[in-house]
Amino acid sequence: MSHSTVPETPPATSGADPAKHPAPPPPQPTGESPAPPPAVRRPSLRERLRRDRVMLLMVTPAVLLVGVFQYIPVLGNVVAFQDYDPYLSDNGFAAMLESPWVGFEQFERIFADSAFWDAAKNTLVLFFLQLVLFFPIPILLALLINSVVRPRVRAVAQAVLYLPHFFSWVLVISVFQQIFGGAGIIAQTLRQHGVEGFDLMTDPGIFKFLVTAEGVWKDAGWGIIVFLAALASVPPDLYEASAMDGANRWRRMWHVTLPALRPVIALLLVLRVGDALSVGFEQLLLQRDAVGPEAAEVLDTYVWWNGVRNQDFGYAAAAGLIKGIVGIGLVLTANKVAHLMGEQGVYKK
Amino acid sequence: MTPNTSPAPRVPDAPAAPEATGSPRRRTFLSSSALAAVAVAGGLPLLSACNNAKDGKREEGATTGKNAKALLPTYVALNLVAPDIPSKNGSPVGFTQSIPSSALKTAVPEKLGKGSTFKIMAPFWGSPPAADNPYYRAVNEAAGVRAVFQNQDGNVYADKLGAVLASSTIPDVVVIPAWNLTGKIPTAVNAKFEDLGPYLSGDKVKKYPNLAAVPTDAWQRSIFGGVLRGVPMPASNVINIVPYYRKDIFDAKGYQLPESADEFLSFAKDITAAKSKVWACDDMKWASFSIFGVLSGGDKALMWDMVDGKLVHRVETPQFLEALEWTRKLYASGVVHPDARVKNQGDAGNRFTAGQSLIYTQDISHWYAKTAEQRLQNPEFAMGAMDYFHHDGGDPKLYAVQPASIWTFIRKGAPKAMVEDFLALANFCASPYGSKERRLTEYGVEGVHYTLTKGEAVKTEKGNLEVNGAFDYTGDPAVFIAHPDLPEVAKGQLEWLQRMGSFTRKSAFYGLTVTEPNRWATLDADFETLEDDVVRGRRKVADMQQAVADWKSKGGDKLRDWYRKLLDDTGAARG
Amino acid sequence: MSTTERATPPDSVRTAPGAPVRAARHPWSAPPRPVWEEPPAGTGLAAKAVVLTAACLAVLFPLWIVVVTSLSSMKTITEAGGLVVVPRDLTFIAYQELLSGGQVQRAALVSLGITVVGTLFSMTVSVLCAYGLSRPGSLAHRWVLAMLLATMFFGAGLIPTYLLVQALGLTDSYLSLILPSAVSIFNILVLRAFFMNISTELIDSARIDGAGDLRILWKIVMPLSRAVIAVIALFYAVGYWSAWFNASLYLSDQSMMPLQNVMIQIVQKQEPPTGLGQAIKTNQLSPLSVQMAVMMLALVPVAVISPFVQKHFRKGMLTGAVKG
Repeated sequence: MSHSTVPETPPATSGADPAKHPAPPPPQPTGESPAPPPAVRRPSLRERLRRDRVMLLMVTPAVLLVGVFQYIPVLGNVVAFQDYDPYLSDNGFAAMLESPWVGFEQFERIFADSAFWDAAKNTLVLFFLQLVLFFPIPILLALLINSVVRPRVRAVAQAVLYLPHFFSWVLVISVFQQIFGGAGIIAQTLRQHGVEGFDLMTDPGIFKFLVTAEGVWKDAGWGIIVFLAALASVPPDLYEASAMDGANRWRRMWHVTLPALRPVIALLLVLRVGDALSVGFEQLLLQRDAVGPEAAEVLDTYVWWNGVRNQDFGYAAAAGLIKGIVGIGLVLTANKVAHLMGEQGVYKK
Repeated sequence: MTPNTSPAPRVPDAPAAPEATGSPRRRTFLSSSALAAVAVAGGLPLLSACNNAKDGKREEGATTGKNAKALLPTYVALNLVAPDIPSKNGSPVGFTQSIPSSALKTAVPEKLGKGSTFKIMAPFWGSPPAADNPYYRAVNEAAGVRAVFQNQDGNVYADKLGAVLASSTIPDVVVIPAWNLTGKIPTAVNAKFEDLGPYLSGDKVKKYPNLAAVPTDAWQRSIFGGVLRGVPMPASNVINIVPYYRKDIFDAKGYQLPESADEFLSFAKDITAAKSKVWACDDMKWASFSIFGVLSGGDKALMWDMVDGKLVHRVETPQFLEALEWTRKLYASGVVHPDARVKNQGDAGNRFTAGQSLIYTQDISHWYAKTAEQRLQNPEFAMGAMDYFHHDGGDPKLYAVQPASIWTFIRKGAPKAMVEDFLALANFCASPYGSKERRLTEYGVEGVHYTLTKGEAVKTEKGNLEVNGAFDYTGDPAVFIAHPDLPEVAKGQLEWLQRMGSFTRKSAFYGLTVTEPNRWATLDADFETLEDDVVRGRRKVADMQQAVADWKSKGGDKLRDWYRKLLDDTGAARG
Repeated sequence: MSTTERATPPDSVRTAPGAPVRAARHPWSAPPRPVWEEPPAGTGLAAKAVVLTAACLAVLFPLWIVVVTSLSSMKTITEAGGLVVVPRDLTFIAYQELLSGGQVQRAALVSLGITVVGTLFSMTVSVLCAYGLSRPGSLAHRWVLAMLLATMFFGAGLIPTYLLVQALGLTDSYLSLILPSAVSIFNILVLRAFFMNISTELIDSARIDGAGDLRILWKIVMPLSRAVIAVIALFYAVGYWSAWFNASLYLSDQSMMPLQNVMIQIVQKQEPPTGLGQAIKTNQLSPLSVQMAVMMLALVPVAVISPFVQKHFRKGMLTGAVKG
């Protein structure tokens, strides 16, 4: 990602706190807009260094942490081009220097593996299911909660809907099993009435819907936070003006609310697309045994299985690399599309 | 013996073990083999040369014959207390009576340890005690060492082992079960652990009398890459996976045990009452392998055997597919507890004790563990072990399992004093039943961890908390079963093992630790998942056949040639 | 959560924006409707109520089962054949046993410590970084931002990460649960966007008065950003509280494990925690209610704190924030 990916101006929609600045005009974009401010000489490097040295110091801890814990290990991905054996040498790093280079052999093996294509297919299907069935739900819930006028009701509903987010996946799946499993509450109740065979948890055919439903149950409530914030930033005057123009409730939603949400939705969509190949590692790893890898393996669990369980490190790294590259490609494409539609996306043009 | 309240350890990925097994921390399932008796110094068949231990190269293959003999410790029998039930057909010896404190023998007359400190990484099933506690201190003090335990969750041990061994500073002592020797771990064992030959080979072992009494075939299993590297935990070579049934319920309802595969199927349908939340059985895949006479699935080398002059792998045999098909029928007919379909949700043992499933397969040690656990909760509870039958109703065809499947290793480059102290601890922990030392490792300190009730040691609450088998890995005597508190269980276990032992035979590579070439290390990695898919009806038996064909073309046939050469080099197959 | 307490905004911003502030109104009653808004349709209100209630019930029903089962005796659970829906005799024995010392209590304290220390550390690093990047045109800030952003799109393998943590000597130390996951780029971007929206005049005049950047951050920016700081602190705290993977990887001593790891073991592997043998043995306590009680213990702290932070969500997460 080049330096051009960085937004410099606070986006206009972010608005100021409506409570303090009730009137529309959004705050002036501060500072460096695309062109340098006119009539100001660009300061020399030394001047900027002196002026910004405290700022740079402040940034240092985070940069160090990210550099050490995210960048250095990435170098380990060279094993994707090796027949890596971490035990060839005293330690795994040194072993990278001694392991034989095999070029693209690992990639060839991956592309020849039907399990990889199963995993890729499952990943994409799950992504689309989540996009269609999961993504809109927090938006709708946020609109619903936002339209509730009584503050207590709103607060209680919100607090309740967040709760499942705090369950870990192990718990969610355990609870689902005991309710929807073959010996769960529903199955036993149905058995009493002569209906056999109810078991939502081990049916590969509906597994992807199950995974999506679990995701909705756990995280849809948490997902409304950002949309509620966006709704709160809509100046009430806009509604008033719109109402004065004779727009009814639905028209106001269409002409005021939705445009306000548009940038957020676009942004989250782009982020989601960029992350399309990550569809819930822990959740799927935990349920892989329940329906079998043909239905439940996704790229992340595929990498885990080969790298950690089978110790085929080079192979797993290569699969991880494929995933990363496709992911970056997707986010760039999605961002491009967002730009074409007049949205800002993750980064500016 | 150990009235341990926690359900026995589960080792879901253990190939040897059905969904559980392992149970390494209970010596109950271990048993020495028939060979233990005959393998007195040199009794081991002398096989011809080996093909491995090429200097500096990766050590592949196995070591047998003269090369092995030079490495193996001399066997010196040690009989402190005569067992109540002697070994037969490869069973362990058994003790059904407790030995009064005054009659306990001394197995380690002089403290061998010189006070070295070492860190031990070991799997642990259940909840470990705090790292520093009176029990650990007492054993350390008695053995003269300072062993510091890093207990890992045994269920995910495999996930971590690979990463830990790849680092430059591995723990001083590492415990590795055979079912974790997958992927590149065998290479790691050869690369990272010390040669114990200079300390133990031949008569050198006599410095450690309890280790000298460890059966030779367990030591033979501890030769990795041409070098004696591990201290083994001896095991019986009779299959350790038992189909248990609820004897209390069977007796009350007058059920007769089925005696063929078809009978089992119809019987299972009869006794399933899903409406009342009762199913005939849990997952029976591992039992089905024994019913259909499939080659052992617990060890890569044991999966091969000579059939009509040709070396075949278990997945190539018709019996393998028949076993899967039969298990699939069980699932399809709705007699298997629904939660068993999910595999990693809930615990089969709990479903069994709760009466939701009436038959389940588990390690032989669970007979004692479950009975002891249920004694207070449900006094009527009783379980029995079904004898295996051949699917057509005749005598079963069972294959021997390896005589040692867990080892303790010490890191390469450990100072001599540390290695010697590690062996001192191993010698201490290998003290046999009836010794003061074993009483300490098994029950802790009298008055703190256990009290004597009518001469029988009974653990206190503190004992239950702290004495949980941590020292079971660091050295073990020849295998035995001792349950003075539940003598009928000990008797049942031994009789079952002896009956099954009479139907047991050894496959071509029995007793050897074979290091396969790395390039084929992951060739069969996906079979177990596929087996589970097939029996649950998610994939077809034809998919398995396809997978076997792929396996052959991707290297299975070459691996066969490799094993064939190994067999030619090491000598003829055994009985 | 002292951050949360301090971050409480004045009353005036607590009510919904747009609603005029009036004192002494019953909290459950609706605020006066703006004059331009038409009265709600009955059907609309009913539909809203139904949907909202259904959503809440979908959440609360499983929770109810978990709570009731955790409070049920062995007898009730045996009769129900598993999870209990209808409460009968309630008992707190599972909680008493879990909290009377032993593994779960120890693990809960570990989790609490990690969460508090980790959140403070993460907040310090993140706030400093976000402020450091908030002045447009400052030296190298685009490069730093690009470097941070890029990490959102690639990952390192497990082995290299493990080797690094091990080489730094962090394994078997609680630092391994904090340092590798200390900064969330997303959170830094949210903070930064909020900081950038603070009126520049305030900051400029302070600077003319001779205040340094640290002083400006402490005296001006932080007090104005309480809402966002509370929200981000909650994000970090929830993250630390629910994390288990790093612990399972980097800690080898089982007795050092945080609550989530212990809970996973108890729930998934169905192994009763050490020290509960007696109560389970004597038939008073069902392992199932222990599992459910551990779930509740893991859930309660975050569930209790979040409503207090909830009111900041609207203000704290300025929508522009997520734009990075």
